[in-house]
Amino acid sequence: MTHPVRWFVWIAIASVATMLTRNPLYQVILFGIGLLLIDSLRAMQFPEQSGDGIRESGLPFSPLRFALFAVPAGALFNGLTSPFGDTIIARLPTSIPYLGGPITAEAVAYGAINGLILATLFAVFAVLNLAVPVRDLIGYLPRAFYPVAVVSAIAVTFVPSIKRQFVQVREAQAVRGHQMRGLHDWFPLFMPVLVGGLERAMQMAETMTARGFAARDRDEAARAAPITQLMSVLGMALVLAGGVLRLIPGWTIGSPFLLFGGMGLMGSAIWYAGRSVRFTRYHRPQWTRFDTVTVVAAGAALVPLLLWPISRDYNPYPLLSWPQFDVRIGATLLGLMVPVFLLPTRKDDTTRTFSTQRSSDINDQV
Amino acid sequence: MIRFESVAFRYPGAARPALRDVTLTLPEASFTVVYGPSGAGKSTLLRSLNGLVPHFSGGTVSGRIEVAGLDPVRVGPERMCWQVGFVFQDPEAQFVMDRVEDEIAFALENAALPVPEMRERVAEVLDLLGLMELRRRSLASLSGGEKQRVAIAAALALRPGILVLDEPTSQLDPESAEDVLQALTRLNAGAGLTIVLAEHRLERVLSFAHRLIHIPAGGTEVLCGSPRDVLAQTPLVPPVTALGKALGWSPLPVTVAEGQPFARRAAAKLEGARVPVDEHTGGEASGYLQVEALEAGYGTRPVLRGVSLNLVPGEVVVLMGRNGSGKSTLLKALVGLVRPQEGHILLQGHDTRGVPVAELCRQIAYLPQDPNALLFADTVAEELAITLRNHGISTQHAPLAPEELLARLGLSDKADAYPRDLSVGERQRVALAAIMVTRPDVVLLDEPTRGLDYEAKGKLLALIRSWRAQRLAVLLVTHDVELAAAAADRVVMMEDGRIVAEGSAHSILGEDSAHAPRDDSTGAQSFAPQTVQLFPRRGWLTVDEALAHLAVPVNLAAEPPA
Amino acid sequence: MHLDSAWSCGSIRRPPVARLRTRRWLSWLTTALASLIGLGAFFYPFFLSELPPATGLAHAAESPLLLGALGALSLLALILETQGGAASETKQVALLGVLVGLNAVLGFLETALPGPGGFSPIFFLIILGGYVYGGRFGFLLGGLTMFVTALITGGIGPWLPFRMLAGGWIGLTAPAVGRVVAWLRVRETRWEIIALAIFGSVWSLLFGALMNLWFWPFIGTAASQPGLGYWESGLSVGQGFANFVAFYIATSLVWDLARLGGTAGMLLLFGLPTLRALRRFACRFTFTVAPEESSV
Repeated sequence: MTHPVRWFVWIAIASVATMLTRNPLYQVILFGIGLLLIDSLRAMQFPEQSGDGIRESGLPFSPLRFALFAVPAGALFNGLTSPFGDTIIARLPTSIPYLGGPITAEAVAYGAINGLILATLFAVFAVLNLAVPVRDLIGYLPRAFYPVAVVSAIAVTFVPSIKRQFVQVREAQAVRGHQMRGLHDWFPLFMPVLVGGLERAMQMAETMTARGFAARDRDEAARAAPITQLMSVLGMALVLAGGVLRLIPGWTIGSPFLLFGGMGLMGSAIWYAGRSVRFTRYHRPQWTRFDTVTVVAAGAALVPLLLWPISRDYNPYPLLSWPQFDVRIGATLLGLMVPVFLLPTRKDDTTRTFSTQRSSDINDQV
Repeated sequence: MIRFESVAFRYPGAARPALRDVTLTLPEASFTVVYGPSGAGKSTLLRSLNGLVPHFSGGTVSGRIEVAGLDPVRVGPERMCWQVGFVFQDPEAQFVMDRVEDEIAFALENAALPVPEMRERVAEVLDLLGLMELRRRSLASLSGGEKQRVAIAAALALRPGILVLDEPTSQLDPESAEDVLQALTRLNAGAGLTIVLAEHRLERVLSFAHRLIHIPAGGTEVLCGSPRDVLAQTPLVPPVTALGKALGWSPLPVTVAEGQPFARRAAAKLEGARVPVDEHTGGEASGYLQVEALEAGYGTRPVLRGVSLNLVPGEVVVLMGRNGSGKSTLLKALVGLVRPQEGHILLQGHDTRGVPVAELCRQIAYLPQDPNALLFADTVAEELAITLRNHGISTQHAPLAPEELLARLGLSDKADAYPRDLSVGERQRVALAAIMVTRPDVVLLDEPTRGLDYEAKGKLLALIRSWRAQRLAVLLVTHDVELAAAAADRVVMMEDGRIVAEGSAHSILGEDSAHAPRDDSTGAQSFAPQTVQLFPRRGWLTVDEALAHLAVPVNLAAEPPA
Repeated sequence: MHLDSAWSCGSIRRPPVARLRTRRWLSWLTTALASLIGLGAFFYPFFLSELPPATGLAHAAESPLLLGALGALSLLALILETQGGAASETKQVALLGVLVGLNAVLGFLETALPGPGGFSPIFFLIILGGYVYGGRFGFLLGGLTMFVTALITGGIGPWLPFRMLAGGWIGLTAPAVGRVVAWLRVRETRWEIIALAIFGSVWSLLFGALMNLWFWPFIGTAASQPGLGYWESGLSVGQGFANFVAFYIATSLVWDLARLGGTAGMLLLFGLPTLRALRRFACRFTFTVAPEESSV
């Protein structure tokens, strides 16, 4: 078992790193690390994740395939739309709206980097999708969002049973002579599931009430609400003011203070709202030294990127050049690779539970 | 301790109160069974124990309720959850989390208990309900009985002294139901929990009930007392009590064990002649619907392995067997929802292979386990019209006028009602109307008695008999032996995808058969009809049959047993 | 002790009127400001070229990272605000959970079955849910549908806050149709559904356009390409916008038209009966009851 927070920190640092640099060399390193982790996570087949029978497919599509699409697409788009840059490869007649004009190597390179950044972001988040079980993703929502976490938990729990219900309804309608001929014929399948769901929601609310849900101190929550709202409104006003100030020449200096101050206040509002929500968490994964190592190594990867920004801000304009490579940055970025080596080994007993679970799932459907 | 003093309750907007003048006292550590027809107020009574009524439902309460020293009307369910655990009918609809452990911990998390205490309590209830091994399983992968035990464990996590259950077994098969009831007796006898249980199948629970509450239709004249006293005053009772009443046994027996001494005496007075069992020959060679060496299943794994069966007009065949023996699959195969891998299904001599489900279902009506899956229209009449439309039949040319069909099913006054607002029994009859409006020749029913009260069951039985009189072929899958005994011409037992026994109801449900439904855990024939258990080797299956043979003067049998 | 209490469908415990008015006003303000900031995060890239030059912190504030954080914060502020009114009662929590689950399965169908283009069945319930049960409920329904769909399909990414915001706004704005319907007095008629279908059509395109915007800072309008000395020669807001529109038409319009057709079609075909079903349950889900002294 790995601690989910390990992954949250890893994702945060990796995506910040991805968005900090436009240097394609660093991007390629980050993308490579992402692919490597995805690969080893897939090989792991965490029982606690794939066995929950909720998440069906690991990922909607592969990050590598996404990169193969995004990089050329970015290059093509920017190459066509951006007229800047000194190395002109070709010229489109200016009579074509938007696209007409010179096509430059710089614009193509800039676009390709855009695509690469998107692909890297995609790969980094794919790690999150694979590494953390759904239950933990919900469980680690901030305290203030406890109702929303419960809503999500109910929804996730409800999903397998909706699918079963859907099969039942399809059979029940089939024996009434229902056939799928067009869009209209989806209705008899949809409606009983919807109404069944609404009825179920009533029962669910009753059981939750009977088990003391909402037993938390409502007065306290109600007292907290106006303060939260005020903090939130004030914070947002500051953010907006910061944004407006940014538009006025000469006043720009003040804008970041307002922006960050406002954002801080908005964050505090969430923290303050969470204070009045009383609950404890049953499921507590163990934090191990492996988790510490992962987090420290990932954090270290960010330091040189912030300290020595020269090679970080690579820019192909006005004349295309080979990006600089700072070994210090390159080497520390490899620290993000640490989790590959610290993944737990597959245990036999857990895989067994997993397989029995699956077969009983099938039985249920029979 | 639970005390009601002249309690009345009215739902918001209702013309009449749901409960009136209820006065009762239930001592600590007692086991109470609540019964009565659906919609009479059982649920209302149970929900007033933890304040769900009126805090969740709305409505007006008068009188005085005291549960564990608290007034649930005043303090509400949020306080009462520490005193009263509540378990509902449908285990699936109770789950918030997707894993056994997390589900049990939900109430504790919500109550913000410290983690060590939470761990301790979760372990405690897991142990109490024998769920230790399942603690990390996903709820979707559990059987119905296991799910309901998890729901009980979740209700007990806050350590209440009272456990209230609203028909917890009505959606379960008999094995799962037994599983849950066993757990309840352990909780009551072992852990000293006060249990209040609403249940339709009285014969299951009377042996360990200390108290019985009967709520008749209308919610007035609620009776509370020892099972014997209450059953003596109510009309619908288990067969052994019905026999006892008819034959004047005293003290009135409420369980088979109590009835057996009386039965032995009564039988001894008869000549030892065993009534000859009329051996039913089974279906004739050419049935209306014929199954030949059928193999079918899902994917590559066959569920049915060589099943042969004949359905004949005017005959009621009851199909029995354990869970997972392939009964439902056989029914689905008959209407084409599951396609045969080997063997044939012949409808009037024609192979149904390749015939679309829609076409088959004009002649074969199939009622799935959950009639709710069928119903989605705004009115009952519309449900019938939809089926006709599906088949491309106009309402005028319907083989059976919808009004007439509704009248036959006792739904004439419900034609404009919203089907989902009706009672379980009525919904089931609406579903029947929706599948029978094409005037089929065969009716297949998959566990139609789930969740039905005695009255609705009686109506269903009358319907089945009327279909037989109209020369329909009926195939009925049920776990309900009393219904099987009352309805069956022929009984077919299935096990592991095969037919292991077939014969008249008397030969199969009577005692001598090797394949009679049995409770594996005890080896006893606890699933046999009560009449058979009381009068073994007689060939009587129902109370009526027994009484016909035992038509002895009442006073002869009235002596108490030694 | 003898207590008679009366509960009735829809009697809600209300704080004193003045306090209530303040609360409602605050709530409106929160929703409006948070939405404004969210929109700002979406559209900020277009304004970059108009900005006076900046360095240091101010420059950092324009990075995609900060815009993403701002989008996420405004989403959280909106959720915090809406859950106070639309998920504070157990019945609402359960109803939301069930509808979100149902919608997530519909969304799953979308990813599992290769449907026509951007067709997605999830907008149907978000619109009707918001329309019947109110804007806050609609916001949570839309936002959480996106969240839970991402959870079960492995679709968590930097786009998620923006998807949740846009999905939530669909539900949040749905009650506006109710105003129009009430004004035209066409409730429970065909026109009510047509109004909803038009609303759904507009949002189908808008949603697609907004979803293109989240990665706009990366793909970049030419205006945002640094090092050009773009204060002199950069593209104006108008040009950037035109660029975006061209991009949108080229890459997404066909896709989004399929979504439009699907959503409008579903609303026209199934809208009325679904509305009836949702309304039928609306009274059962009417919320908090409070004791008042009365006799039976």
